[in-house]
Amino acid sequence: MNSAIELEEFLHAAQEFVKKSDEIGDGWSIKECGDDKSKTFLKKDLYVEHTDDNNSILLKMEYIIFYNLSYGVPAFSFNIWNSSGTLLSLEDVRKMSFIQISQKDFYSVITQQEHPVFQRPYFIVHPCHTEELLATFKNKSQNIIVTFLGLITPLVKLDLPLKYGL
Amino acid sequence: MSDADNREEIIQYVPFISFVHPSFWHTLTEIKLNIDKLNETSKPIYGRFTYRDDIGAVFEVDGTSFNKVPETEHLYTSVKGTIINKNTVEEFKSIDKAALLNSVGKTIWENLKEGTWIDKPSSLLNFFIFSFADLKKFHYFYWFAFPAPSQPTVYLTRKGSCITSAFTNKQLEDLAQSYKALDDEQKCFFSIIKENDTIQVQTLAQFLRQTECHLAINAVYFVFQDPSNGVNPGWALRVFLAALLDYCPTLIGCNINVIGLRCNIFGGVENSCIFSVKIPVDVTKSDAAGWVGWERNDKGNFGPKLANMSASLDPVVLADTSSDLNIKLMKWRLVPDIDIEVMKKTKCLLLGAGTLGCQVARDLLAWGFRHITFLDNGKVSYSNPTRQVLYTHEDCLNGGKKKAEAAADNLRRILPSVVTKGIVAHIPMPGHPVGESLREETLRNIKIITEAIEEHDVIFLLLDSREARWLPTALGASYKKIVINAALGFDSYVVMRHGAADGSSTAGSAYTNAKWISGGDLGCYFCNDVTVPGNSLQDRTLDQQCTVTRPGLAAIAGALAVEILVAILQHPQRELAPAPYNLSDEGESIPGLEGVLGPVPHAIRGFLHSYQTMLPTCPKFNQCVACSVIILNNYMAEGSEFLLKVFNSGKYLDDLTGLSQWRLNAEMTEVLTLTDDDEETSDI
Ligand SMILES: [Zn+2]
Repeated sequence: MNSAIELEEFLHAAQEFVKKSDEIGDGWSIKECGDDKSKTFLKKDLYVEHTDDNNSILLKMEYIIFYNLSYGVPAFSFNIWNSSGTLLSLEDVRKMSFIQISQKDFYSVITQQEHPVFQRPYFIVHPCHTEELLATFKNKSQNIIVTFLGLITPLVKLDLPLKYGL
Repeated sequence: MSDADNREEIIQYVPFISFVHPSFWHTLTEIKLNIDKLNETSKPIYGRFTYRDDIGAVFEVDGTSFNKVPETEHLYTSVKGTIINKNTVEEFKSIDKAALLNSVGKTIWENLKEGTWIDKPSSLLNFFIFSFADLKKFHYFYWFAFPAPSQPTVYLTRKGSCITSAFTNKQLEDLAQSYKALDDEQKCFFSIIKENDTIQVQTLAQFLRQTECHLAINAVYFVFQDPSNGVNPGWALRVFLAALLDYCPTLIGCNINVIGLRCNIFGGVENSCIFSVKIPVDVTKSDAAGWVGWERNDKGNFGPKLANMSASLDPVVLADTSSDLNIKLMKWRLVPDIDIEVMKKTKCLLLGAGTLGCQVARDLLAWGFRHITFLDNGKVSYSNPTRQVLYTHEDCLNGGKKKAEAAADNLRRILPSVVTKGIVAHIPMPGHPVGESLREETLRNIKIITEAIEEHDVIFLLLDSREARWLPTALGASYKKIVINAALGFDSYVVMRHGAADGSSTAGSAYTNAKWISGGDLGCYFCNDVTVPGNSLQDRTLDQQCTVTRPGLAAIAGALAVEILVAILQHPQRELAPAPYNLSDEGESIPGLEGVLGPVPHAIRGFLHSYQTMLPTCPKFNQCVACSVIILNNYMAEGSEFLLKVFNSGKYLDDLTGLSQWRLNAEMTEVLTLTDDDEETSDI
């Protein structure tokens, strides 16, 4: 079964997705990285205030959707850091429940890796099953990024407004 | 305007909160290492703040801050600034911070006096970062400052109120539209003239230089992009008011309208805030005032912050976590029950740093082991690097480095986070008499080896002579360590685990018809020799000098030795894991045979000339010269003195164990004088 998504299709869907995001003010932007089209990515960042034991800290989350060349699917990555730029560890991320998966599955779904676009550590959601999952949705002909995010949002605390046409 | 509810209060500006993107440190580090090096000159950078109504007064820098042209972001304003990075922590600490801020302020004020800010209001905004980068630890000490003159002191005649209280929807729309049409550098500070129902957006240059002064001051609104989204105005207003008063002294004694422009994500301005600012008649001018603006740290003090970026920037840490990932992936994808931590914790001692030792070390590293010690007495010679995979030509020069040390050094070059060391010591052997002259040295070696064995969890016997295996076999059993043995012949090898010391000692007959042997009852390298008489011929081909073995053998045997260890560690019974007599009919009748990685054999014998592998399983021999109870008891009772007796005469072991038919000494002599004719024939 070859249900991989062509880069062209990814790029087109990404453009459309950002247009929609602009309309509804969802904060996604599309960025290019040099001349390499395959490194085009979608980005959304937001500030979150985390409170525990009376302490409140301001954190920044960054979501990145990029194109995984070897799997031929969109891939999801994110980072969370504090005001000094220090990344939260995966354990912190889990404890602060920015991500909602069982502890058992947590580390098998998300790993900290050198990001293929930025060459810096990011938490990357494993693309192993993306292809099959997307295949089951493919005929529904909605934007592939929206479909993809629909698969991710159960894991990640990320709003996906209905206005995207889910 | 001055009823009881509207008491005048000194204006409180909301300070900026610096927020650094991780990429800022990545880029700073690259620049420091590749371009600036020891150069300390300050560098121009960009930062930005947002006047979005849903985000507080954050001031951001990131990897693009060092670009020549700033990256723009929707509803953010770029600010030109400077970074002053010091080379040493002393310089960072010793500099006079107040003087530094004042000198920066003085420069800003001089530029401001020239009045060019009116044409280019964005130039009023300013910041700098004072920093020290410790690039060994990837610790960054930094301190942001947003310079502003401490004077004038002005008052708010009432709390900020929402713009909708003074502007109609139509006016707000006009404001949003006109604002959008302004040039970027005019957007930070501008003015609005509000007459009757209409509003007119004017740049500061238009307003201050051209507009007739017949206007009532209450028809004029001074607007700034407001970083704050609370009741007080953001910091950007402070320098604006100072500049304004300096240029228009006529404002002294007046009440002026100020709008903090705050946008929603669609560009709407209805959450903007109006401040009524009273400038007292006796206001202090900015000229002679000091400058303020250092950011407070997380403790609320005026002091630097620390970014510890080692986890995302230190290549040593990155290499460590990345190689861990290989093993984790194995767990996630294929073997969910595998215990990763046990490899990290287990300390391995490699006796022998030759072909086998090098190979075993590399495979241990690949499996995630992080404590690896080498013990060897030799030096790296010119013949070694081609077969002994940890060494290079450089290690052979000038007489050759000590193998144990070179192996540890080179292992660290492969993975800097590995905990490794080399111990240089000679392993004393049975039947190699220790005269008075060697007594001290032998005792010292015994001590070193004993301590090394005690400190580790697993002992690998990777030596090239049988006699050298005796002492570590006996000590490994005494100190209850996991012992893995590998020996090479010309084209055959044996890799085995020694019986666990904590097992039962029902050795021998109990297992005559059994299908398996408990890990506690397995034989050692020496048990084997005598329990299977007539097998000794096979063993002759083992323990060759490494240079007379087929080169592929060490890689095979070394890999198997590590795989056996991992299989043991991943077995629920660890070293007590049972070994089947016949692995091919493994299964139903053997309780607890399977570990996470499958069953653990006792021994693997391979024959390269026929590409065959056998899995012999042998019980402990209760008269074994190395692992039997009588040997261990004697060692426990007499310690080194016992060992010296053994070294002085191989016959002593025979007598002790009652093993008359087996002459260690004789056999060792035989092995050592082996000739080509004696090499294995087709019977193995
Ligand atoms: Zn034995």
